[in-house]
Amino acid sequence: MRLINLRGVCLSLLVCSGMALGNNDDFEIEILAEGLDHPWGITFISPSEMLVTELSGNLRRVSNGRLNPEPVAGVPTVLFAGQAGLSEVISDPSFADNNLIYLSFSAPDKDQPKLNQLYVIQARLEGNELVDQKTIFRSDPPRKTAAHYGARLAFLADGTLLITSGDGFNYREQAQALDNHFGKILRINSDGSIPKDNPFIGRPNALPEIWSYGHRNPQGLVIADDGTVYAHEHGPQGGDELNLVLPGKNYGWPAITYGVDYSGAVISPFTEQPGMEQPLKYWDPSIAPSGMSLYRGEMFPQWQGNLFISALVPGDIRRIEMQDKRAINEQILFTEFGRIRDIAAAPDGSLILATDGAKGKLIRVSAKK
Amino acid sequence: MIIKQIPAFLISLAIATFLLVTHTTATNLIWLHSINMPVDFNLVLSTMATDLIGMNSRGAFPAVALISIGLLLAFITARFISTRTAIKKTTLYAMAGGTALFAIVALMPLAFYNLDLIAGARTITGRVYLVLAGALAGYYFGNHLQKGDSNALN
Repeated sequence: MRLINLRGVCLSLLVCSGMALGNNDDFEIEILAEGLDHPWGITFISPSEMLVTELSGNLRRVSNGRLNPEPVAGVPTVLFAGQAGLSEVISDPSFADNNLIYLSFSAPDKDQPKLNQLYVIQARLEGNELVDQKTIFRSDPPRKTAAHYGARLAFLADGTLLITSGDGFNYREQAQALDNHFGKILRINSDGSIPKDNPFIGRPNALPEIWSYGHRNPQGLVIADDGTVYAHEHGPQGGDELNLVLPGKNYGWPAITYGVDYSGAVISPFTEQPGMEQPLKYWDPSIAPSGMSLYRGEMFPQWQGNLFISALVPGDIRRIEMQDKRAINEQILFTEFGRIRDIAAAPDGSLILATDGAKGKLIRVSAKK
Repeated sequence: MIIKQIPAFLISLAIATFLLVTHTTATNLIWLHSINMPVDFNLVLSTMATDLIGMNSRGAFPAVALISIGLLLAFITARFISTRTAIKKTTLYAMAGGTALFAIVALMPLAFYNLDLIAGARTITGRVYLVLAGALAGYYFGNHLQKGDSNALN
């Protein structure tokens, strides 16, 4: 009798925690688009319409589940090499009124074309064309590498914009210095100006747009309804992290890390240090986290408040159950699609996955009717 | 004849590998020390030992395998040249060893979007050091061959 009760309690807990969903028989899988060239970022601009970036430089539009064959015109020319290219797209919080979108991308430095920079632009989407473009951020100093851009964007509730900027791979030590953009999360106003309450305003030798530092390659960024900022970063071997990001804090890279270099060398023998933040969670072996979404939908009510992380290695989705701003559980989903580059929650509550590569797919995951 | 050179080649390989690995360790630890991380002597030794194992086993490419390919190709070329010129073997093989390490640190970034996968090779000073490490390994091998030649004459 006691055993039966215990089983009942366990089953209830499992159901309540959302673990009951996980078998692919529970979902309806629909391929929305195929043949996308390295899809990277997804954003919804209306309940039925989304924009998708292709790293190779095109911005694509999917309306009512159908890919518009014509890419959006007027997208700036990007540097497409390695991890460089057209990266993130997000819409303005007042998109319905102003039609503004924001794009992040890498492009050659104007003065030194062998070097490149991360750019963020604001533009108005008029029909199927971008107009009134304005560069609101350009990373400094330029880099010679085509890797580790971060390049995720998200709006805080106060209308300021967070930009993740990776360490450029070769410049990892710069993530600990405040006079550059390598390995930082930056906060700017949507017109490119600097908010007056940024944490390093007035500090000598610190760039005023820096919001947090000590990051490696943050490719996932979401803002919870209570304003909590979650970011994950693509770490070295065995050092991928999920962080709760606070202004002015140092997230340690590369002075502390749970990972080792791709060469097998120790990057740092330290995993903690006073004044440096610990991750909420880290992955060893690495999962290569590539994108993230916070689920607020009605389609899977048991998943509300969970973080969904797309992963390139081995290729799946990690559902992270959050409680009191802590990661308390992890479930692996959708292992059959290979490397997944990004994930977004649609307004109807379904999940949209973008698979990685030159023949990328957009996949919609809905609840079985 | 070739079999007789294997121990010298392995020692030469060990010299280059040891110098490359310990240089990477030193590069990382010197930087950590510069930002006031608590780096002490014991940590230096333990990190060095971890790197000597790690860089030859858990990385994307074992350092010893990469260097052995580089030195092998360079030494074969040096041997070919030595039969046609009168350059001292120590000089010739030192140049070959240096060239092998230069090729490794210079060519790897070209294959990986300018990424320097060996942390110690990210600065010009670091690259010069690694070329000298290769030259030292080559010098040892050339010296061994030269001694062999002298013994043969005696």
